[in-house]
Order: sequence, then C-alpha cells, then structure tokens
Amino acid sequence: MSTESDGGMLRSVVSPERIDRLFDLCGAHSWKLILVSAVLGALPPIFGLREGYMMTVVSEMFLFAILALSWDIVGGQTGYPSFGNMAFFGIGAYTGAILLKNFAVSFPLAVAAAAVVATVFAAFIGLIVLRLRGHYFAIATLGVLLASQQISRNLTITGGASGKILFDVPPGIVFYYFFLGVLVVEIVVVYYLSNTRFGFILNAIRDDEGKATAMGFNTTYYKTAAWMLAALFTGLAGGAYGMFNTFINPQTAYNGAWNVELIAMALMGGTGTVAGPVIGAFGLHTLIEYVETAFVGWQLVILGGAVIVTVIGFPKGVVGTLREYASEMDYYERGGMAATDGDNPEVTGDE
Amino acid sequence: MAVAQFVVNGLLVGALFAAVAVGFALIWGVVDIINLAHGEMVMLGGYTAYWLLSLVTGNAEGSVLLFLATIPVVIAILFVVGYGLQRTLVSRVIGTDIFLTLLVTFGISIAIQQLAIQAWTANPRSIQVAFTDPSLSVAGLVIPKMKLVGFVGAIVLTAVLYLFLQRTRTGRAIRAVSQNPEAAELVGIDVEHTRAVTFGISSAVAGGAGAFIATILNIQPQMGLVYTLKSFVIVVFGGVGSIPGALTGGMLLGTVEELTAGLVSSQWTLAVSFTLLIVLLVVKPQGLFGTEAQE
Repeated sequence: MSTESDGGMLRSVVSPERIDRLFDLCGAHSWKLILVSAVLGALPPIFGLREGYMMTVVSEMFLFAILALSWDIVGGQTGYPSFGNMAFFGIGAYTGAILLKNFAVSFPLAVAAAAVVATVFAAFIGLIVLRLRGHYFAIATLGVLLASQQISRNLTITGGASGKILFDVPPGIVFYYFFLGVLVVEIVVVYYLSNTRFGFILNAIRDDEGKATAMGFNTTYYKTAAWMLAALFTGLAGGAYGMFNTFINPQTAYNGAWNVELIAMALMGGTGTVAGPVIGAFGLHTLIEYVETAFVGWQLVILGGAVIVTVIGFPKGVVGTLREYASEMDYYERGGMAATDGDNPEVTGDE
Repeated sequence: MAVAQFVVNGLLVGALFAAVAVGFALIWGVVDIINLAHGEMVMLGGYTAYWLLSLVTGNAEGSVLLFLATIPVVIAILFVVGYGLQRTLVSRVIGTDIFLTLLVTFGISIAIQQLAIQAWTANPRSIQVAFTDPSLSVAGLVIPKMKLVGFVGAIVLTAVLYLFLQRTRTGRAIRAVSQNPEAAELVGIDVEHTRAVTFGISSAVAGGAGAFIATILNIQPQMGLVYTLKSFVIVVFGGVGSIPGALTGGMLLGTVEELTAGLVSSQWTLAVSFTLLIVLLVVKPQGLFGTEAQE
C-alpha cells in the first residue's frame, strides 16, 4: 500500500534501471568506495575543523554509525533484534573510565581493555540469552541492559549514581580520528564477512534457524561469534566515549534514548545491509541534532513518531526499499516471482 | 518479625503488579504482541486519577470513596486510549516481523513518556488518601489501609477481567481470536474489532492498577518501562494466559522486592528484579503454570 505510493513518487524522479545500475556500480567498486569515503571523512580536520560544536557532532555521527552497524551484525544480519546493545557500550565506558581514573592506565590501553571486557561480557551473556528467540530474546536483552545499569549505579568503583568525571583526556581530534578509524575498520570487517561463508550462515540463521541447524551448522557458535563481534566494536566505542564526554554516569553510559536511536538508525537505513545502518546513522543523527537544538524536550516524541512511521511505512529502510525498487527490473525482465527474493510483497499490509 | 512484615508488604503491592501483568499477558496471548507501551498505560491511569481528584478537590487529596469513584472514569478513558492505539497503529504491524511489532510499541512508549513530561513535568506525584486511622495492626503486623484497599482493588480488577473473559459474549470472542484468528473470522467474529477491544481492556486494567499505584507508591512520566518489565517477569513466571499464575507471580515478585529492600537496600530492588527476569528466562521460559508460552 504505502510502498506503492513511495514507488510512484520515486518513479517520477528516477527509474528502477538507474537505481539498479547504481547498486551494480557500488557493488563493483565497493572497496574503492569505502577508501574514498574514509579519505573524505579524514579531510575536515585538515581543513580547519578542529574543535567546537561541529567537530563534536561529526564525531558523534561516526560513533552512532559504529553502534548502529554493530547492532545490525546481530539484529539485521542474524535476525536477533537486541534491545540491550547499550549494555556493551556502558560496560566499555565504565571499564575505560575506571582504568583511566583509578589505575592511571593510558588512553589506548584503557580503550582496548574496554573492548576486551565488553566482548568477554558478551560471550558470557550470549551463552544465556542467545538460547532465547523472538519476544523472549528482545526482553531478556532489555533486562540485561537495565540490570547492568542498576548494578553500575550501586557499586562504589563506578562512582554510584553520580558517576565519574574524567580529567587528563586526549584532545577532541584524537576521538574524531578514533571513531572514524573504528568505523572504517568495522565497515571493512562487516562488508568482508557479509560475502563470506560466515556471513551467509548468519543470514541463514536469520531466515530459518531450524534449517541452518539441520544443514549441520553449529548455529550457537556463529550466533555467539556475531554477538561478540558486535560487543567488541560497541565496547571500543563505549570505552572512548567516556573520555570523549569527560563524564559518565549510569544515565549516559547506558543511555536509554541512544538504545532506541541506534536501532532506529539501522532500521531507517535498512537492516541486514552494510550501507544501511551507516546511512541511517548519519541521517538520523543530523535530524536529532537539529531537533535537540530547535525543539528542546521533544526529541523522544519526534524519535518515537519517526520510528512508528518507518515501521509502518517502509520497514525495509532506505537501502532495502531502493533495492526492492531496483529489483523490479529483474522482475519484468525474467518474469514471475523467481526474480524477487521470495519475500511476501504484502508485508506492510494490515493483516 | 521484620521478615514477616516485608512479606506482607510484598504480597499487598504484588497484587497490583499482578493486575498490571494480567493485562500485558492478555495482549500477548490474544494479539500476539509484546506491548512495550503497557507500562505507559499504568502511568496514564495514575495521572488520570490524580487529575480527576485534583479537579474535584482542588488538590490530589480525598477520601477513599472519592478516590474509588475516579476508578471507573480512569478505566473508561484508558479503554479508549488502548482501543485507539490498536486501531490506528498496532493493527498495521500484526502478522509482520516480531521486531517491527516491538519497535512500534517502543516508539509509542517513548513518545507518550516525553509527552507526559512536557505536560506534567518529571516530578514524582502521588495521591493522598485521607484516613482517620492510617493503618491496621494484626498480630503485630502493620497493614496500611491504603495498601489493603489497593490489594483488594487489584484482586477485584483481576477477578472482573477473569469473569468477563469467561462469561460474556465479547470475552468468548476474545478467547476465540486468541485460539485461532482465522476460524474466529469464519464464524463471524470481527477480529480487528475484538483485538482492539482486547487492547482497550488490557490498557483499562493497567490504568486502574495505575490509579492504586499512585496512592501507594508514586507516579512519574518515566515509570512505565519498569512496570512493563515487571509484567514480563510475572508473565514468564506464571505462563502466558494463566491468571492464577500471574497472581502468584505478581505476589512473589512483590515479596522478593520488599525482602531485598528490607534486608539489603532499596537501591538493589530493580537490579534484583531484572536479574530474576534473565534467570527465569533461562531456567523456565515456558513458565511455571502455563503449559505452553505461545498460547
């Protein structure tokens, strides 16, 4: 229904063949594209953007892209929508902050340790929650997030409810390049994996875990590996974020709004793709920054509204919708349902 | 003796948790949706009672009867809210990916939350119910009268819901849709309408419980998520579709929380409930009372 009207509007602007060709082009030159984007991302500080509001906004954009892409490794590629990814972030942030402040560990070491702790935590939690599916998995992950937040609030080493203020942190430019670097590495890793056996097995788990098991894959192993990979990048980002922000408390480290935002970013960009979560993160973060300055106190209303509209209107996100639109050409050229990927076309219908 | 007192407090508050969870389980069973905005219905119910009472008395204080008189109004208003939400938003994602249904209700939840902050500020509020003698004393145990009223109210709400589902025509239609929507449609039940009614009833019960919660604990715009998760704990414990299971689960959760607050520290209650949730999901995802979770 609504997809049809989107298609109609799109059609007057650009034809399916064009989009199809664009996808082919991106697919053929993907590595060059990643390289060019990385270089472009590295340029602004060289041309004078070294501090201030814009610098923070762009750094946060990279940060959110890391979070959204990490979420998508498990939520989009593997089909286990987690509502607790911020737990890894918070644990990373606290590990980094405690090491830096209480043990005077250097920045690179503290961040690396944060990633390790988050990954180990994920391995442990994964053993428990990855046995669950659907509703149970989603709520269990939300429970993990809230339990970690409560525990951090009550311990003394984490500074309790008042949190930790960090001094002696590196300048903003370090974080800019750190977040950019982690993002580029993550894009490369995820993109590489999505074309390997590992990535295909993750997608198989998403499409039908029973069949994947029946085909002889140890799905628990692959799920846990994907889950730990997501935690690794989220923990890295979290570890650096504490110092970037110079302050963490349970509310900022396990930020509930961010928890929704990163899912919304992956969803709006297109889950299960590499470009989708990144595009979604850049787009939505720009919007959120604008809303936060223009309509203070209404961010969550607008975010909630945007999520609802996306879910009801175009649940495949920007990249997914465009890809579907582009595959229309295959549909007409080859005819029949064979060309489409077998998805129910009425998925946005009302029943 | 202190332990006995904590247990009594826990049982009294736990019945309210159970009433909230029963509504949550109803939507889960009938519409097959985890309503992450369920806690917001509790919050809205509390605020509705608060403002109704303020409208009548000028401040949110009043006698028990006056407070109880607001409950039917709260139930009616929340029914309309729930019915409307299902008809306009939730019905559009039924039958799609679970993830999308969760996101829609989560979107509703955060939007309502912040609208409530905008409308009523983030300050906690509570309804003061006046008694000449605030608490009873039975065998050395102190029972606050308002907690007793809340306890009875929660049991009545749950019992009325149970009777409604068992005895009335609409109740039978709801159970039919829960068992098999296609077959229900074939025998002439308006499935869409029935689902919306279910959503409305669930919200109404949550709202009614919320009004009692406003008198015993307090209400504030961001309280919702905690109640949604508590409901989940209770339903997982009791099994989807089992009202006795939900009652037992609610009272047990209340007792565990009160014992934690009393014996350890009140800061740890939420950490304990959420950890309990994870442990329960791992040990017994099908619930202790329900035979199958996906009924």
